Amino acid sequence: MSAPLVLSARSVAKRFGDFEALCALDLEVKTGECVGLLGPNGAGKSTFIGCLYGVVQRTGGELEVFGMDPAGQARAIKRRIGVVPQENALDEGLTVLENMRIYARFSGLKKASADERILQLLERMSLETKRDATINTLSGGMKRRLTFVRALLADPELLILDEPTTGLDPSVRHLLWETVTSLRSQGKTILVTTHYMHEAEVLCDRIVILDQGKVVAAGAPRELIAQETPGYVGIFSGDAQEDIRPHLKADWEFFHQGHQCCVRAPAFDDLLELQKSAGVDALQLRPANLEDVYLKLTGSELKQHD
Amino acid sequence: MTEPLVTLRLGWHVVVRNWMVYRKDFLANISPTLADPALILGSLGLGLSPFVGQIQGHSYAQYLAPGMIATTALFTAFFESSYGFFVRMTFESVFKAMLTTPIGVSEVVLGEFMWVFIRAALMALGVAMVLLLLGLLPNLWALIVAPFVAGTLALPCAAIGLLAASWVRNINQFQTVYSFLIAPIFYLSGVFFPVPEKSWLAAIVQLSPFYHGVKLLQFTVWGHFPLGEILIHSSALMAFAVVLALCSFHRMDRKMTS
Repeated sequence: MSAPLVLSARSVAKRFGDFEALCALDLEVKTGECVGLLGPNGAGKSTFIGCLYGVVQRTGGELEVFGMDPAGQARAIKRRIGVVPQENALDEGLTVLENMRIYARFSGLKKASADERILQLLERMSLETKRDATINTLSGGMKRRLTFVRALLADPELLILDEPTTGLDPSVRHLLWETVTSLRSQGKTILVTTHYMHEAEVLCDRIVILDQGKVVAAGAPRELIAQETPGYVGIFSGDAQEDIRPHLKADWEFFHQGHQCCVRAPAFDDLLELQKSAGVDALQLRPANLEDVYLKLTGSELKQHD
Repeated sequence: MTEPLVTLRLGWHVVVRNWMVYRKDFLANISPTLADPALILGSLGLGLSPFVGQIQGHSYAQYLAPGMIATTALFTAFFESSYGFFVRMTFESVFKAMLTTPIGVSEVVLGEFMWVFIRAALMALGVAMVLLLLGLLPNLWALIVAPFVAGTLALPCAAIGLLAASWVRNINQFQTVYSFLIAPIFYLSGVFFPVPEKSWLAAIVQLSPFYHGVKLLQFTVWGHFPLGEILIHSSALMAFAVVLALCSFHRMDRKMTS
């Protein structure tokens, strides 16, 4: 038996004047799933997220969140979701506790239970000592953790994270990953956008790659890699390309990434052999990952097939 | 709870949020709205009174007094809803987070109007008490009535601010709105001199909600009760409040959602 759908989008479109931000986007998210939305800046990720809670009005297609249409029932939907927006949008002059109390009120929490909930979440995000600190004294990482607290206040069923870890140091990132993972294990549904492929690979059951307002690929991270870019990748310095080229086989892929050139081959041994026969050492040899899939599908201008 | 009640309650939460932010800088925030009227009364009122003589049976300071309450309402409302709202909307992204909660654009705008009404009413009370101390408040009932009139006057002024906030592309453009709309309204609506009857100005100021508010506050402060005129000016003020507020709801909805 399949889990009920939290989100279902069929041919969702959004047009801003002549610009099609979303065209015929299809996406389904089941209860308890963690789905990652990837795609270049301007691919339509934030536009799509805006459609889910009614700040962006779609211009076509059908969209349901918890079986409700955001075009008419945004408030009912918003009672069941928590959002970490791209900008923190905290009130800089207020304290941590004041900020959270305001949002607890917005979300309809009763005063007595609100404080208890706030303190519990602050503790969970290691912010309990900062409850009386003014926001503008907090570090970027603390502010980001606080927006997680804010998003979780009303114990939402669906959590929407819009680039939650952009610009954060690795330890904060790991804390946030841990939080997301533990929320997932509690059965929450999570929709996350990110530019960090590793993050998507670690967190998400399923990846959806958007480009120019369309879904260009979707699937579990391992599946996508196996489908789109199977094998192993060797990264060489750009100077090595003349030495490498004569030794490439027909089913390998050769492409440039910035000043480096890369070879993707079916087996790790292929790359070891290539090093020997071409007489060059790779800068790195690794299994193909989500970044390779992403760049193959969206980064056409950065990639040159040979 | 029915939908209008939910909207009202959520709008009130926006008011509470604004108050929490406002009180952090309380002194800086109330200074201009109280200092400006005091300065006008002190300079023009005291300075010009000996030269001006009587206007409609009042000394110049007495003539200026009601306009000071109106001035507080105008500036409190306009600056809060233009610069203040714009800063919250763009630089602070306050609404981006707010709109992810059960609050919608209607509640944000409704909260703005409620907040401006309360602030203008409280400021009006403050100015009225200053007038009382200066012996410029002959009608003591004005202490109760003037805050309500000022709060109502603040609504169309706030709507103008919100419309400006929805139109400008950057914060400097408010200067144009101030210079060509708010300043003329302020100087020409009967605060400083009676609008000459049957003049072109008299015709134009009918279109200014501020003029009708000034009239009502003059009646309130001086203790005049010409029922017919009160009815006309309060209807006009209400009509401006409703129409401009509806326009600003519509504009802000289009501005804040896409």
